[in-house]
Formats: sequence, structure tokens, C-alpha cells
Amino acid sequence: MTCKKCLTKPVIKLPNNNISLCKKCYLRYFEKKVRKTIRIYKLFKKGDTVGVALSGGKDSMATLQLLHSLTQQQRTTKIIAIAIDEGIKGYRDETLKFAKKFCKENKIPLKITSYKKEFGMTLDQILKKLDIHPCSVCGVFRRYLLNKEAKRNKLTILATGHNLDDEAQTILMNQFRNNMAAASRLGPLTGIKDDKKFIRRIKPLYFLTEKEIMTYAFLNNLVTPFNECPYAEDSFRSRVRESLNNLDKEYPSTKSSIINSFLDILPILKEHYKTGDINYCKECGEPTSKEKCQACEYSELIRK
Amino acid sequence: MKIKAYDERNKKNIELEVDSIKEAAKELKINLEEVIVVKNNELVTESAELKDNDEIKFLSVISGG
Ligand code: SF4
Ligand SMILES: [Zn+2]
Ligand SMILES: [Zn+2]
Repeated sequence: MTCKKCLTKPVIKLPNNNISLCKKCYLRYFEKKVRKTIRIYKLFKKGDTVGVALSGGKDSMATLQLLHSLTQQQRTTKIIAIAIDEGIKGYRDETLKFAKKFCKENKIPLKITSYKKEFGMTLDQILKKLDIHPCSVCGVFRRYLLNKEAKRNKLTILATGHNLDDEAQTILMNQFRNNMAAASRLGPLTGIKDDKKFIRRIKPLYFLTEKEIMTYAFLNNLVTPFNECPYAEDSFRSRVRESLNNLDKEYPSTKSSIINSFLDILPILKEHYKTGDINYCKECGEPTSKEKCQACEYSELIRK
Repeated sequence: MKIKAYDERNKKNIELEVDSIKEAAKELKINLEEVIVVKNNELVTESAELKDNDEIKFLSVISGG
């Protein structure tokens, strides 16, 4: 795997072994790893219309760039980018500008929908009106709109930019909170097969670390200046992330071991927490565990 | 070696007297798992050598929401 350039011009030292790679070898390594994930977990197949949830951040941009380049040759898989504009001034407007430019240059269809259009208010406005935790309402609305857009655009599968770090953190957070039912809904491929109402989700970057993705993004000019959502305050996740990265520094492969041991028991978890029949919201028809879905609950609060 | 360092996450520019990138990261309390290192506008690994007046940027790999 090492060429002469790897020795003189390495761009990254791979986390789990001592190999350093040059730009060309690294890009090849990265693409190979994603292709393998897609193949082994059968993330999508020919004839699929794959949506990519695009925020303009490095993870979703890398996902889109990769799926676009992997499917460009064969004309049977269609790629569509889906972006949600929450309405966060100084943050999402910036990242979306970048996303739009990229899609235009690469001739990738991009569908943008917004909280303003769908719920009547931007997230900024909602948070002025209601005293609620920003990420709760934001997360619920985003999930709802992604699913709705997916159906509107007849997607058969939806890809997100979740990476190895995200997943390792979530696995541990679910354990710390004693919520293995939530853990059973993780993995590179989630959702129920052939559910007409809920589109399955895939995570092509599942086995790549944040650092590896940032390296790929940098080498492909997909990096925007560091920009943080003004409402971001998931302090529990930040703590878990920090601890994991400290552990990984001392004991390499900690993060990937968490993922791999989890994948070993995931089929058992899925079997154990198999959900019975899903309900559908009486207002909007979206899948929910209650009578009315959380998105409809929130949007009622807004209209009050 | 006297270098110019930039910690992107904390938007901090600083001049450092260090012998290696690892030392610079330590000085800035940066975990190298959480950044990529750009030396004079080129991506490098943490083992890249330093010379006087090098410009080192630590770009955060953590996504912001
Ligand atoms: S950090 Fe919270 S409020 Fe900001 S975009 Fe993410 S979920 Fe929404
Ligand atoms: Zn090489
Ligand atoms: Zn509903």
C-alpha cells in the first residue's frame, strides 16, 4: 500500500495501524472502505433512487461526493440531495450556500425545504416564541421533513453522513442511559424493509472516523470554515466524544472496537426489541409510536 | 523553532517556540484525533518536520450540529 510518495508526502497516518498514506493512496483507501461498507451491508442496489441528507457540513458533503462519483458511471442509480433549512441565521444559511454551489457545479439535483415553509416559522423564530430545548424541536422537525421529502421525491433510500465517531458515541450514550431499545435502532442500515411510510436510512461513512472524513473533505475542497450551530449544547455527547478521543489516543482502536463489538450483538438486539405494528399519526399519517406524532404536537404549539 | 500556529476551533492565533507538531498540539491542549494539520497550506501528518516561520493550522474535525 505504500508508494514512494507515501514516504515523502504523507497526508494522514491511519489511526489503527502505523501506515501513512499520500493523497492518491489515501483517496483510494477511503473509497475502497466505503465501497466495502455498501457491498457488505447491501446499502443500496441498482435501480435505487438514493437521497443524501445534505447540510453542507463535511460529513454530508463527503457522502454526496462519494455516492455521486461511485454511481456516475452506471446510470441505474439516481442520486438526489435533500437539504433542510432550519432557519438559523449565520449558520445554516452559510453551509447551505456551499451545498448549493457544489450541487450546481456537479449537476446533482438538490431539493431544499425549510421549517419556515413547512411549519410557518424559522427555528430562530420558534425559539423566540417557545421556551423549549432547541435540539429537541429541531431534531423532530428535521426527521419529519426528511421523511416527507424522501417520499415526495420518491426516494427508495436515504443516506446520511453519520460516521464512526458519531456511532461510537451514540452506542455508549445509550448504554449510559440504559436505553438499549434505542441502541437496537442503530447500525449502517436502519428502518424496516418495505415499509411504505418510512424510508430506510443508510450510513456509508459508518467505518470512517471524523478525522479520516475531514482529511478526505480537505483533499476534495469540501471544507468550509469551522462554524458551529449557536444552539448546539449537547454537553453529554461532547463529554463522551472527548473521553473517547482521549482513550483512543492511549489505546488505539478503542472507537472501532466499540463499533465492531456492537455490530456483533446488533442482530440479537434487533430481534429482542422488534417493534410490533407501527402506528401512523392521525393528523399527518407519518409513522409514530403514539396517536399523534411529535412533529404535529410541536407544530400545534407554534400555531397557538 | 519559532512557528505561527492557528487553533481554528478557538479562533486563536499564536506564536510558539516548539520542536514538533505534537509539542505544539500539546501546548495548545489539542487532541490530534480532533484536528487535521495543515502546514504552509498543505495537509501533513503529525510527524512532519518543522522549521522556523512555518505556519501550522489545526483544523477542527468536529462537526458543529
Ligand atoms: S445543534 Fe441542535 S439546534 Fe443546531 S442544527 Fe443541530 S439539532 Fe438543530
Ligand atoms: Zn502513496
Ligand atoms: Zn403528525
